[in-house]
Amino acid sequence: MTDWNGLALQHISDALFITDRAHNIVWLNPLAEEIFGINAGEGRGRPVTEITGIEQLTPLLEELHEQGTPSEPSFEKVETVIRFSGRRYFFKVAVAPVSREGVSIGALVQLTDITRFYEMEKFKGDYISIISHEFRTPLTSVVLGVEMLRQGLLGELNERGEEVFDAIGDDCHRLTKLVDNLLELSRIESGTIYIQAEPVDAAELVREAIRPLKIQAEKKGISLLTEVPEALPLVAADFNKTVWVLTNLVGNALRYTEAGGTITVRIRVGTWRLYFSVQDSGCGIPPEYRDQIFEKFIQVRGPARRKGGAGLGLAIAKEIVTAHGGEIWVESEVGVGSTFTFSFPLFRREEIMG
Amino acid sequence: MGKRILLVEDEKNIILGVRTCLDAVGYEVEIAENGELAMEALQRSHPDLILLDLMLPKVNGFEVLESLKSDPETETIPVVVLTAKAEEEDRQRAMGLGADAYMTKPFKPQELWDLLKNYLPDDDKEQ
Repeated sequence: MTDWNGLALQHISDALFITDRAHNIVWLNPLAEEIFGINAGEGRGRPVTEITGIEQLTPLLEELHEQGTPSEPSFEKVETVIRFSGRRYFFKVAVAPVSREGVSIGALVQLTDITRFYEMEKFKGDYISIISHEFRTPLTSVVLGVEMLRQGLLGELNERGEEVFDAIGDDCHRLTKLVDNLLELSRIESGTIYIQAEPVDAAELVREAIRPLKIQAEKKGISLLTEVPEALPLVAADFNKTVWVLTNLVGNALRYTEAGGTITVRIRVGTWRLYFSVQDSGCGIPPEYRDQIFEKFIQVRGPARRKGGAGLGLAIAKEIVTAHGGEIWVESEVGVGSTFTFSFPLFRREEIMG
Repeated sequence: MGKRILLVEDEKNIILGVRTCLDAVGYEVEIAENGELAMEALQRSHPDLILLDLMLPKVNGFEVLESLKSDPETETIPVVVLTAKAEEEDRQRAMGLGADAYMTKPFKPQELWDLLKNYLPDDDKEQ
């Protein structure tokens, strides 16, 4: 009688561990033995974070045991250096609860080796970085030249001349933004930029994001409001990158909302997460765009011509939010407005457990 | 008396653009197309400020920056790095080597004029 289950586990191409409630290994598969240089006998009873060197497993397994299901997403990529071989690996990590007769006894930890894939991504990232640099160089003399022409420093312009150079100036700005954004996006996607998360005051994030946009809102006749509860728990976030996300969302809201409209930035405290939302009273997003809106280069065509934007802001925002272990989504109604919401994990769960 | 700026840059079109917008506001501009020529120019006389590109032929911009800031004769001359390198590591490295400011290309003339005013405060020309 062939043990098909056993055979499958012998040949599966992921490293598998089963851990108990204390996160110690009770079982590992042959590939795990091979990659981590340990045989099953030595592995049993040892902490899985010690054997794998993947520190992130601890919070991930904690959340799993408390919630019963792993939250989405698991860490997309973790980096670890294998002790015995000194080799550097990149894994995609997934965890699932394991129970026997209805009682939770531990977890299944599944590690998929994405080292080669990651290295390809890094190569692509380096390539984009070089290209971005190559675009910036010729753009330099173009921007300088156009601005000097616009300002009349190189001879007077007639009215049509002013119009033409205004248009060129705008497009130069778009090109520059595109180059900046592509570089940023490729860095985030290739993982060469790490999210440096630390305990952050969410109210401070909102203040910092709104500050540079207040004048713009006033000029456009749009009310920019905030609804931030008192006594907020700390959130685990990379300050600058999170401010960037908020600024991007509010900037978009400003672009798509008419004079007399309102934009409200809210913070809401959930059980495990903090929710930031940006609500506008703008033109809303047609249903056919809602699924794609976080993809690269998608820009919704509004009823009037909208200036600026290269279609990468939301894609970058999504990458940043996802890297924090959060989610971002939109609710919208055409003619009424849109609300973009993203969630971040709270910094310390003890704060809400009291 | 106009302030003197040494522009260390090898791209012809950028030299034209930067020189033109600096001329427009009354700065005197000297050009050095690589690190060696820059050091030679500095032997002859000291400018009031140096605009330094990082991607230079032969001796790279970081090395030039390092020599400028480690020589007591030249270390007090403000150096503004103008570069297409937009990576955070490059900025940190340049600031770490003693650069006074770091400006990424492309930039508008007004951005350069505003920045220069910080380091050449006695300039009384119209902008």
